[in-house]
Amino acid sequence: MYRVLLAFLFFNFCHSQNYYIYVAAESDDTVSVLKFDGETIEETDRITVGIMPTENEGPHGITIDPSGKYWYLTLAHGSPYGSLVKYSTQNNEPLSKVELGLFPATMEISPKTGLLYAVNFNLHGLMRTSTVSVVDPEYMVEITKIKTGIMPHGSRISADGKSHYSVAMMSGELFEIDALDLSVNRILSLDNNSKYRNAMHHSKIKPTWVSPHPNGKTLYIAGNGSNQIFVVDLQSFSVTDTLSTGKGPYNLAISPNGKFLLATLKSEGAVSIWSLKNNKFLKKIKNTTSVSHGVVVSPDNKYAFISLEGVGGEPGKVDVINLETLSLQGSVNVGKQAGGIAFWKIEQ
Amino acid sequence: MKSKFPYLLLLSFLFVTTSAVSQEYYVKSNLENLEIEVGEVFEPSTYAVDQDGKPVSCPQIVYYNKNGALNSDDGISVSRRRGTIKGEEPGNHKVIALCLGLVDGWLGRDFDVKVSYAKAKDLSVKLDSDQVFVGSYVQPSYEITDNFGFTRYNANIKIKPSNDNIQVDALNNIKAVKSGKVTLTFSLDAVETSIDLNIVKNPINNLVLSSNMNTARTGDVITFRTMAYDDKNQLISDLPILYSYSGESFDKSNTAAAMIRDDGKFVAETAGNYLITATAGQRSTSIPVVIYDRGIQREVINVGTGLVQERHTSDFWVFEGVDKRDYAVSGTWGADGTTYFWDVTDPAQIRKIDSIQVDARTVNDVKVSEDGRISVISREGASSRRNGIVIIDTTNPYDVNIISEYTTNLTGGVHNVFIYQDHVFALSNGERFYVINIEDPKNPYEVGMFEIGEKGQAIHDVWIEDGIAYSSNWKHGVYIIDVGNGVAGGSPSNPVVMSNYSYESGAHHATFPFKSKSTGKFYTILGDEIFPQGIDLYSTNETAGFLHFVDFSDIDNPVEVARYELPGHGSHNYWIEDDVLYVAMYSGGVRIVDISGELMGDLFRQGREIGHINTGNPNGFIPNATMTWGAQLYKGHVFYSDHNGGIGSSKVLPIKPDNSRINEYLDRPRLID
Repeated sequence: MYRVLLAFLFFNFCHSQNYYIYVAAESDDTVSVLKFDGETIEETDRITVGIMPTENEGPHGITIDPSGKYWYLTLAHGSPYGSLVKYSTQNNEPLSKVELGLFPATMEISPKTGLLYAVNFNLHGLMRTSTVSVVDPEYMVEITKIKTGIMPHGSRISADGKSHYSVAMMSGELFEIDALDLSVNRILSLDNNSKYRNAMHHSKIKPTWVSPHPNGKTLYIAGNGSNQIFVVDLQSFSVTDTLSTGKGPYNLAISPNGKFLLATLKSEGAVSIWSLKNNKFLKKIKNTTSVSHGVVVSPDNKYAFISLEGVGGEPGKVDVINLETLSLQGSVNVGKQAGGIAFWKIEQ
Repeated sequence: MKSKFPYLLLLSFLFVTTSAVSQEYYVKSNLENLEIEVGEVFEPSTYAVDQDGKPVSCPQIVYYNKNGALNSDDGISVSRRRGTIKGEEPGNHKVIALCLGLVDGWLGRDFDVKVSYAKAKDLSVKLDSDQVFVGSYVQPSYEITDNFGFTRYNANIKIKPSNDNIQVDALNNIKAVKSGKVTLTFSLDAVETSIDLNIVKNPINNLVLSSNMNTARTGDVITFRTMAYDDKNQLISDLPILYSYSGESFDKSNTAAAMIRDDGKFVAETAGNYLITATAGQRSTSIPVVIYDRGIQREVINVGTGLVQERHTSDFWVFEGVDKRDYAVSGTWGADGTTYFWDVTDPAQIRKIDSIQVDARTVNDVKVSEDGRISVISREGASSRRNGIVIIDTTNPYDVNIISEYTTNLTGGVHNVFIYQDHVFALSNGERFYVINIEDPKNPYEVGMFEIGEKGQAIHDVWIEDGIAYSSNWKHGVYIIDVGNGVAGGSPSNPVVMSNYSYESGAHHATFPFKSKSTGKFYTILGDEIFPQGIDLYSTNETAGFLHFVDFSDIDNPVEVARYELPGHGSHNYWIEDDVLYVAMYSGGVRIVDISGELMGDLFRQGREIGHINTGNPNGFIPNATMTWGAQLYKGHVFYSDHNGGIGSSKVLPIKPDNSRINEYLDRPRLID
């Protein structure tokens, strides 16, 4: 009887977890807060962002600080520079704002330095070398801009917090920044075009994302133009393997336990999953609408959440993938052109 | 499962330990209570101390100015390469020192640093003349150079006269009170300099003040002239005259408000009796003027509406079709890329006749070619992220068709467009505009580009008239560009800048050129766009900003002379015809304003408003929430678009509003559907 009761309590404990996610809708100037209870996902709040009601300010990147007390949002469009806005997770009220560069996009906070690193994507500007903005999130001041490549994207921090990685979509490069020294440490030309650094050569690979593995030894790059994922060995800083994907791999995520690699396939409206034990392809799962964008995995490695842009007046969506069954678990409508997505917390 | 508990426990322990570690250290620095001088370079020394007070060096230290690390002229600049800070502006500033890499997470501290001017090394004082009249004020100009070579033009300078021919008050105003010689000594820190001054009797025996009008309406500009004569009745030229006014409003509960400039131009905001005074030294003279109410209000009625209920509406354009009937096109905002076409031949029966949907979320702007055959719409939020423009055949507005789309260099979103003589001027990414030839609308091609070339350049709108483009560039103001007029050698492929004017708010959003029929003067009317409280998508938004009237008659020396500011409501798009302004004031509706005659001061307060229309619709996307986007006078009707309601038409009647017969309106047939 005792064992049955224990099992019952344990079952309930395991199944009463709520997962909370933030997702930005770039064409609606809104951010949605989502709750997933293991069965269904629902929108619990929708926050209007930006300051100009008659301009589309384009919330693009979103991240949550390691304490879970604040979330940070990049607004792509200003006049002309975009900005970073800090919000409280307690009431979703804005706290502070700082101007960054042209089309600031993805970002992450280093657990080592506590600083925030955001790429200035400059998606639509002239093909010029852009930057990574380093922001002190305590005071919301941009400390410096570090020059990288043309259209930098996929701003991600290594597990130890000491390195920042981004890829330059049009110059086809991987950049490693020393997160303490705030300078570029290493550059890898994915097109083998290092002679023409910073030159706009319309990279055939068009890298759009980089995800460092939690083991600190490897990272993965989405080749949006070449339909590949590049495996980069961090010691030699060279490509050691490639994985074939479907059309238009865009964002990547690695499960915190390092077992799964997920890639959104923007041109297919799908997500592909690999086992990183042997880089073996596991499954491609069709999304519930088109233009798959971001992906994030829950800290307990059980679920992946995929943001989907949709087209025109269609709502954006967030799909939930069960990583144990490798199947679609649920979906919820959010604002138009859902893009940046961040995991907030698991709550009992 | 059991085996995971120790792992979770370890994780919890590590988390707690890490948090505790980061609280164990405290940042210390010789920045504490630091005082430096403007121009001084200081090398800080920073470290951490643990709970026992033991110093620990930081693996990496980063300094920055809290006001903005990249803004070097704001108080304190930081050289990260050298690890130094430099005083740039006096005041109390904060410098942040970050200790990176010692612990996990943020470790830093802010320090108050006081920056003061360095001691003066040299003080130079200049006067316009070494001779002044009794009763006049002396206005010296200063140049101070300090020990770091920094130059400034103002300071708390001590002024000491050698005798009582001069009086210096607590605010350093220097007044000549008696005839004779005097030496003024100016001192700052340890630096001192002197100037000799000759004070002479005011030669003016008689002042004669005249004006071009003795009676006028509110808003009419009266020009006063003053002639000064000596005791031999000889005219004295180049004397500074100070003008002032006093007055009493006819309305006893109102202020007699007016404005008078140094050049003798006077304009009243309220009707009443005014006394204008000219003063030169101890002489003064006055003449009265009577100002009557402008009395130009007219009744304005709503005539018809074209309701858009399910989406926000953006810009619109009314045009004469190839078949000589009248049509309109309107965009939608934050929706699904729909554009509507309307038959407005009968302004009381506006009919939706066709629509086009493109891959976009916002069609912010729509324009139609001069011959009515081509419409160009802008795209933002395309799912392909290739926005650009779409060219539409409007030969038959009842059956419009997409001819082509053009995205080269325009992928970042096109916010506004203009069509002029087979060329489209399309904004790109809010940074610059491209000129696209559409002689063959199936095969548009780029012929030119214009950007102002400033750091942080941003553009919001472009308007073309007579081959001149008026580019509205937020903080950089309006740029007037020859794009085909030829007056400055410009063409669509070779835009040539003719002039520029900017103003302090930096909110310059749209420009309309205005050649005054009544005065012949040439103005540009520059509109702000400001949302002081940010966004509320589901109710009325607070708006602000106004129209700036800039006299561009001398294109090299533009002068801002007047404003139209509607209290509580901000400006958006507008139209001018026959010296009448039709302006969409967002939440304030369409305002119709008399801008005839010379313009000076605050036009709203001068009673120049002819009438207004609230454009909110009870069945709108947000019911009854007026948010007027644009206005256009077309064949005698005032058309408008409303963000929450669609489009509509109204009419300015020749009759004046008569509130005494207000009950008659109760039986009037509804003119709004």
